Amino acid sequence: MKELWRCHVCNDVHLGSKAPGVCPTCGARNAFVLSDLDEALEIIGKQPALDDQAKVMAAWKRFSDQSATVRLTSKADEVELLSKGVVENLKGKGQRYCPCRITTGDPGKDLALICPCNFLKQPAYKETGECWCGLFVKRDEK
Amino acid sequence: MSEKRLIWFHGRECPHCRKLEPVVDQFESETGTKLERLEVWHNEANAQVMRSLADAIAPACGGDLGVPAFYNENTGKAICGGRIDLAMLLSWAKG
Ligand code: SF4
Repeated sequence: MKELWRCHVCNDVHLGSKAPGVCPTCGARNAFVLSDLDEALEIIGKQPALDDQAKVMAAWKRFSDQSATVRLTSKADEVELLSKGVVENLKGKGQRYCPCRITTGDPGKDLALICPCNFLKQPAYKETGECWCGLFVKRDEK
Repeated sequence: MSEKRLIWFHGRECPHCRKLEPVVDQFESETGTKLERLEVWHNEANAQVMRSLADAIAPACGGDLGVPAFYNENTGKAICGGRIDLAMLLSWAKG
């Protein structure tokens, strides 16, 4: 089961099955202590919502820029269309769900459909080097 | 009894669906057969129809319910994904 952890040095918050050995923010070692939702929310405060296309595309770009294996497709019109779908899904269905697959109705299962999903395990990605929607591609693909 | 349908499940913001639209148009004009076009992201009733056919469609999509997906009510056969072309549609429609 995943639990909430807090770095006692810099108040970095982590959700995971175990405490990180090294804090990714301040570099302290073995610094995480078990936390809870109220404490974590107090620390996190109000973060800007990723609720429009520009913000969603910027998040995808940051994800792409830091990855050695995958990147955003170079087809700008498709990135634009998919970001529109993701934002519409946020408004209509409550999360930034994939525009090319449908929700099951089970919120737990549907967590796997939040974009970017874990597309590396998709048969489509293994066969074509693209996520199901073609948004992310292997770095050596077109 | 109502007539069996050839159904195309698609999503308004799905790039593969957008690219397939002219292929579906061509299929319809070549065969004289209309597909039932069901948009699943902005129409919950259509999404429910798709979910009710999950046993046939999800395996064709690699595990999840994805679009574009085509379901033949005569044969129970489904095809799914971004690499569908006219030849595949013709063979799926035939059974
Ligand atoms: S398949 Fe691609 S577009 Fe869809 S959720 Fe996964 S990463 Fe996003």
